[in-house]
Amino acid sequence: MARTTSIHGATLTRRQFVKTGGTLVVGFALVGERLLARAVETATGKNSLDAALSNSWFEIHADNTILMRTGKVDFGQSTAHTAYKQLVAEELNVAYEAITSVVMGDTDRTPDGGFSAGFLEYGGQNIRKAAAYTYQALLDLAATRLRVDKSQLKVENGVVSAGGNRVTYGELVRGQQLKLTIPVQGDLTSMFGLTVTGNPPLKPTSQYTIIGKSFANTVTPSKVTAKEQWVTDVRLPNMLHARVVHPKTLGSTLVSAGTIDKAKFANAQVVVKGNLVGVVAPTEWEAIKASQAVAADTKWTEWKGLPGHTRLHTWLREKADWKSTQVSKSDKNKGDAGAALQSAATTFTASYELPYMKHAPIGPTVAVGDVRPDGTVFVHTHNQNPQALRGQIAMMLGTSVDNVVVRIYSGPGHYGRSNGGNAGAEDEAVILSKAVGRPVRVQWMRPDDLMWSTQSPAAYSNIRIGWDMDGRITAYDAEHYMPAMQDDRLVGAVIAGLPTSPPPAPEPPLPIGSTLNTIQDPWIYTHVANVAEAGYGTFQVGQKESPLAVGLRDHSMRTPGQLQQNYPRELALSEAAARAGIDPIEFRLRQTDDQRLIGVLKAVREASGWQTRTAPSPAASAAGSGAVTGQGVSAMLRSGTYWACVCHVSVVPGTGKVRVDKYTIAVDPGIVVNPLQLKRQIEGGALMGLSHALYEEVTFDEGAVTSRDWRSYPILTMADIPEIKVVILPHPEVGSYGGGSEAANALAVSAIAAAFFDATGKPARRLPLKAEYVQTVLNSGSGTR
Amino acid sequence: MAIALIVNGTRREVQAPGDTPLLYVLRADLELSGPQFGCGLSQCGACSVLVDGKEARSCVLPLSTVAGKQITTLEGLPDRWAKQKGLSGAAASQTLHPVQQAWIDEQVPMCGFCQNGMMITAVALLEQTPSPSVEQIKTAYTSGPSPHLCRCGTYSAIVEAVQKASSLMAKAR
Repeated sequence: MARTTSIHGATLTRRQFVKTGGTLVVGFALVGERLLARAVETATGKNSLDAALSNSWFEIHADNTILMRTGKVDFGQSTAHTAYKQLVAEELNVAYEAITSVVMGDTDRTPDGGFSAGFLEYGGQNIRKAAAYTYQALLDLAATRLRVDKSQLKVENGVVSAGGNRVTYGELVRGQQLKLTIPVQGDLTSMFGLTVTGNPPLKPTSQYTIIGKSFANTVTPSKVTAKEQWVTDVRLPNMLHARVVHPKTLGSTLVSAGTIDKAKFANAQVVVKGNLVGVVAPTEWEAIKASQAVAADTKWTEWKGLPGHTRLHTWLREKADWKSTQVSKSDKNKGDAGAALQSAATTFTASYELPYMKHAPIGPTVAVGDVRPDGTVFVHTHNQNPQALRGQIAMMLGTSVDNVVVRIYSGPGHYGRSNGGNAGAEDEAVILSKAVGRPVRVQWMRPDDLMWSTQSPAAYSNIRIGWDMDGRITAYDAEHYMPAMQDDRLVGAVIAGLPTSPPPAPEPPLPIGSTLNTIQDPWIYTHVANVAEAGYGTFQVGQKESPLAVGLRDHSMRTPGQLQQNYPRELALSEAAARAGIDPIEFRLRQTDDQRLIGVLKAVREASGWQTRTAPSPAASAAGSGAVTGQGVSAMLRSGTYWACVCHVSVVPGTGKVRVDKYTIAVDPGIVVNPLQLKRQIEGGALMGLSHALYEEVTFDEGAVTSRDWRSYPILTMADIPEIKVVILPHPEVGSYGGGSEAANALAVSAIAAAFFDATGKPARRLPLKAEYVQTVLNSGSGTR
Repeated sequence: MAIALIVNGTRREVQAPGDTPLLYVLRADLELSGPQFGCGLSQCGACSVLVDGKEARSCVLPLSTVAGKQITTLEGLPDRWAKQKGLSGAAASQTLHPVQQAWIDEQVPMCGFCQNGMMITAVALLEQTPSPSVEQIKTAYTSGPSPHLCRCGTYSAIVEAVQKASSLMAKAR
């Protein structure tokens, strides 16, 4: 006989029955009929475990240990392995150490799906609420067991006590079959996955004992002792190794595929599907060598549909279609910026350019596809959105998502590239596996990964700033131009001519994945009365012209979109401050009454050894063989976190060499979950930002990406590391967990460029600050190409 | 063809063409997952191993050139340390190489994919230069066939961890 109790919108059913042990299984239900049908479809698949169990968040074991499940995939942030455990332990009132295992990402073993980004802001709230519902259910069980009112219960470390009696969570669930059904909504295999709804009571932040403490990342020991199971380690019985011979250009179609010389490669085989040419063999080395021979013998059509990287921004300004896509306006726009600029005492106008940049994971994408005779499909990969990949693979094959399982392993971080579900190799592995009837492992080589993956889109912005006699900004006008940022198509499916999601278009099925260029950089200078920010979007470069429909595919990358808008804003503010004769930090402080922004600006000024003065530096020079030095500042609000950054650089004008000597950053995320891991994330982001600023630009000719290896796409090395100083300003009273893994990279680029201006007196208005470009700037005084 | 290797102190015979890069033999035939495929071009260092005590890029090292040589992978670091310290039995089996311990203590890895080569390089450096300066550490990671690359930005943590490992090794002396 089942009994059902309602708990803050969740329902708890219990049966007096047990086979072995006993667990509290936390399932979910969907809100809305259409969504419910979808959930039933996905949750009852034959490749899922027991429906309730497969969709569970937690298992509380008889020994009071807990297994936790999340559909988010930790790829280096330590979020799922530490921060989520802290959130859950806090809400469940158990010790951090009680959570002994974490199941992450596998589509048949985790509940919520969705992209792995904004871990604390989005995904963290899911698991936090699930824990809060579970805690209430445990209290309910304990009140019944101890025969007291819920309000009489005291809980510590997973032990409930009242009136001299005590019971552990493990004892509460032992001997019962319990199912807690939590309200959720959404579409599991969409970009966003499921969201836990309702408002279970959450622990007040003032009572936190676990959140705010530093915990080591629990996955680290296995990674440093070679015990971790990496995506690169997956080997299935009867598996073949494959390499894909990708088209000659981003628009070339297949004329004829090369053949295998069986005298040389006795066991290799060519597979052709549309324009996709794959080579499979029992050993990896034979697959590599045979694919090189096949590639040399494969004929492609010629295609020249790209402007080339040296003419990119001219092409974007003069040829790109910015009219077909609706102009996006900032929700912070106010007043009449045009009129205010007319009447301003002084105005500043400049245009800024950013190149395409690569996510550039250290390991190229790799996946194993296993299309089985019974029609089920297993994909083994490292991916930030396994449920979305599951949906995409089902679409490509024309099968139900019930038939597709995605399994997740540790792998090289790729900073947003697969948050829509496509890391690169998965669909090709599935296509080839289906063709040969065996599991197939596709490993992209380094050139494949640089030439055929998505990239962070190039952009340019026109900025106009007007201010009064007191250096108070009266108008800010920004026009941001950027091609579509989120192409989640499976590239193998596109090349093979199989179904996949549509390319970015003005009217997409989803708000994300369109050509819209929405305003991503929240306006924080509250005193400014007239603000006009507009985002102009367009198609991906070369995509519509490509017979393959490929072109330069773009995808969100660490601090996506906001980097492209914050760089011009903050650099322009620093240049305007110089024009106004005001110190750039003081200039920013004058424009705002936002206390959290003021807090980080003052903190970074203090910590960095900032010299309060106008730029350029009195010692600035654009010539000579001696180093000149400069300081630059930037600020940002992202995902609930306030940031301010100062970079100190030295420039040798004679050689054009720019070096970052010191990087100082102040961060106010509201509640700090794990100070140790936050600091590590910020340091990593800082170095990625230096890499963006100093080295990174995707090169391409009229047909193909020509950045093919680490020589043609250089990134930062240890030789370039600066002194890094991180100041964390916790403000728990804010009540929210701001993000910490992004922003630090984006703040670096404008602070470095501002410091370059301070050091040399010349504005560099595009990146990267490579010697050749730097010397052009120093010699001509023009910041644009 | 059959080629004999000495991997982590044990003689292993493998059947593979002599031009096969060592990396594929280690991963596929010997099931050692420490060294990673990062570029196949000797440009990043994710695949590094020790060959006769020196760091080498296994992704471009033909099998035939390492026949009979002493190869140490990430998996073999604890044994290497135990032998150097004369540890045996239970003490040896529970000991991590001080470099691995320092990598945990300093929380170096983010995604961790490049860290195999970073730890191998640390061991090679510290065996030759027990107390390296920061400049010597930077040189170790930026010389050789190519700089060692980390995309997550752990370089500062690596410098700190090498210093930590140096002091752990000094204490064990």
